[in-house]
Amino acid sequence: MAVTGDRITFWFGCNILRHAEIIRLSILLLEKVGFDVSAAGGPAYCCGTSYDGQPHAASAMSARTVSRFNDAATKEGRGTVVTWCPSCHMHMSDIMAPGNPTSFDVTHITELLTSRADRLAPLLTHRVERRILLHRHIGFATHVAVNEGVHGLLAAIPGLEIVDGPAVPGHMCSALEAVPGALAKAAQETWDAASANGCDTLTTIFHSCHRAMAPTDGRQGVALRNWVHLVAESMGLPAGDAYRDWRKGGTPDVSAIERAGEKYYEQLVEPELRKAPVVT
Amino acid sequence: MSILPPARADSTEAYLEASGPRLADLCTSCGACFDACPMVDHIDLRKSDVREVTADIRRLARGEPAGPAAVSWVAACTKSGRCRSACPEQTSGLDAMLLIRIAKQRALNVTHQLASKKDQKTFPRVKTFARLQLTDEELAKWL
Repeated sequence: MAVTGDRITFWFGCNILRHAEIIRLSILLLEKVGFDVSAAGGPAYCCGTSYDGQPHAASAMSARTVSRFNDAATKEGRGTVVTWCPSCHMHMSDIMAPGNPTSFDVTHITELLTSRADRLAPLLTHRVERRILLHRHIGFATHVAVNEGVHGLLAAIPGLEIVDGPAVPGHMCSALEAVPGALAKAAQETWDAASANGCDTLTTIFHSCHRAMAPTDGRQGVALRNWVHLVAESMGLPAGDAYRDWRKGGTPDVSAIERAGEKYYEQLVEPELRKAPVVT
Repeated sequence: MSILPPARADSTEAYLEASGPRLADLCTSCGACFDACPMVDHIDLRKSDVREVTADIRRLARGEPAGPAAVSWVAACTKSGRCRSACPEQTSGLDAMLLIRIAKQRALNVTHQLASKKDQKTFPRVKTFARLQLTDEELAKWL
């Protein structure tokens, strides 16, 4: 079923809040191809997928989030929820919708941008002279052909050479964290493939993969970029990557830390930023 | 584009509660899901009795205790999805990935063969990351 109308809700999820520029760039891309975007995410829009051990709480989260999207559909005409996170997308499709009446449909951002590839292509005016390894997972293909979708979007970028990386288990890197050794194995396999194929850029699709691979940026001359960073580069848009820079030893501005709360930064954020990298 | 399925229950909790026995009834313990799973070798279960492990998955989905191999297997699910396409009963309505997900939930919440590892700091952490980077307007409009 095609997206009806240009008014959409971009549901970016929770953990992507580590990567504000990815959220901003995604909204910009959707606007540039003609959509009226209302963005939503964070704990108030949690899908509940991480709460297998708290089914009642997960159920309440699902109901609340569906209710909000139903309101956006019926009161604002936003009949399509556009996802970023594969966990959210699959949870909505497989568990939230069967338990809550919905007034909207879902599509993944890569599907939506692909449907308007003709509007995106003219915007890709800058050559991006990179040979990238596209980091891929097996999962999520059950719902969205995301590997092929991102490959197709990136193939429109002039100058870009794409090597498809090994399709590692899981739907994204965070899924592997719970299984001892699984993430390290997949990350190392990906890194080794980038090196073996003479790539100068490792390109992630999802935020948790970007989070896992962030410390590798610049190692042995291989840069780390998410796919939206590359699209932005071809559009001539500046895009930083704060999380990546912090993971490599940087710190947020003092004013930002004060705003977020120094205690919260020290207890909740800094330990993550100083964790050992998964790729040795 | 995913056309969402119609609601089949009053809540996700109710849906999952009803789906466990329903999906277990559709499963024949053929083991195709187990054979297709990329995590089986990683957790060294390849030599397990496939029919016994999958029969245990059905027991878990019904809220009954299962053997250690099945419990280890559901705990190692990384949503690769190969089980779903490998399942010969998919056309009959068996979502193997959902069956295994429900089996894991039962192991956590009913048979207590898995310990819940929920990080209570997840939400406060993502909110802190948000406040580090988002403008006041973005915080107000998006979250």
